[in-house]
Amino acid sequence: MDFDGLVKGIADIGYDWHKQRIVQNSSDNVPYINKTVKALEAPDADKANSAIVISAGPSLHYNDSLSVLASSDYKGTIIAIDGSYVKCLKAGIIPDYVITLDPHPTRIVRWFGDPDFEKNMEGDDYFSRQDLDIDFRENSLRQNRENIALVDEYASRSKLIIASTAPTNLVHRAKAAGFDMYWWLPLVDDPNSEGSLTRQMYKLTKLPAINTGGNVGTAAWVFAQFWLKIKNIAVVGMDLGYRQDLPYHMTQGYPELVQMLGEENVTSELFPVIENPDSGETYYTDPTYFWYRKNTLDLIANSGATLYNCTGGGILFGDGVRQIGLQEFLSDYG
Amino acid sequence: MSDFLKGNYDLDEKIVDDADETNSAKDEFKKKALNSIGGSMVFVEREQYVWDGDTEDE
Repeated sequence: MDFDGLVKGIADIGYDWHKQRIVQNSSDNVPYINKTVKALEAPDADKANSAIVISAGPSLHYNDSLSVLASSDYKGTIIAIDGSYVKCLKAGIIPDYVITLDPHPTRIVRWFGDPDFEKNMEGDDYFSRQDLDIDFRENSLRQNRENIALVDEYASRSKLIIASTAPTNLVHRAKAAGFDMYWWLPLVDDPNSEGSLTRQMYKLTKLPAINTGGNVGTAAWVFAQFWLKIKNIAVVGMDLGYRQDLPYHMTQGYPELVQMLGEENVTSELFPVIENPDSGETYYTDPTYFWYRKNTLDLIANSGATLYNCTGGGILFGDGVRQIGLQEFLSDYG
Repeated sequence: MSDFLKGNYDLDEKIVDDADETNSAKDEFKKKALNSIGGSMVFVEREQYVWDGDTEDE
């Protein structure tokens, strides 16, 4: 299978694999759903004027984006995704909202400090291949304990925007940490189509559905743009590509590509290089990230909205995306 | 079948049919592969951003 074939097949592939899990998780979570995103107060003043979505791409580290934000006097809304939350706290940033989406039964809770760390990480090298958050590569018990303590200390100061598809261990962890939790439903298909999973989950949960673009970073942007209706939204850490010096085997989906296609077929053709026209720098991507990029660009283009990309690199550019420096966004909209 | 066909020699090595085991391992590999490649969530809706079923179901 070639690159285009993999990208085109992702929706069907993922749909089959995820459908049982997301419906089951939604059903399991019904007893815990006591507040939905409808209960959120609309942001006002500076919080309504601008938002920064903090995704978890490697540029957060390489560009020191969080230090720039932390040292600014930014008064707008800050939205972290699950994978960037601890990094935000370590940088001295307490997000207004933290959003989580992924239904994975053992990995996602790790972003919040995992009480069952050793059991859940057994035989799983996912975090040691994390180009997203380099700190997580170390994957140590000590670091996990520190993350638990950090999240326990600050969780009550952020609103957790939690998808009905969240795994049970994450729900328990979030409750124990003291998050103020607001539930939502991932809009995974057309609710009016036959056999719609969105409608199945809706019938179980009665939650409002929000489009995700296939990944939590894009879901955070949709949440800010279409649920909170914030006027000017920037993203940082939304690379959707890898620096050229990162070996293929360090990319997130590499082992699975090898398993599916055979090592001899996992060639550079599956990792096309793309030049960012703004910086002139080149990055390579993979089928999954390229698919996320396409979804995100489609959502932006169809909405007529502008996304300010302050990532400082990566491959998210196109119609509706304005690449500017984080400092410039903070000056203009902060 | 073995009631009708009988060999006239004995094998030194015992043959084990591992077809089921191989298929199961393949399925598991495929499952893992698809899980990762499928990403965080599946997306097929490209124009609708939010949907509140309340208005349609009530």
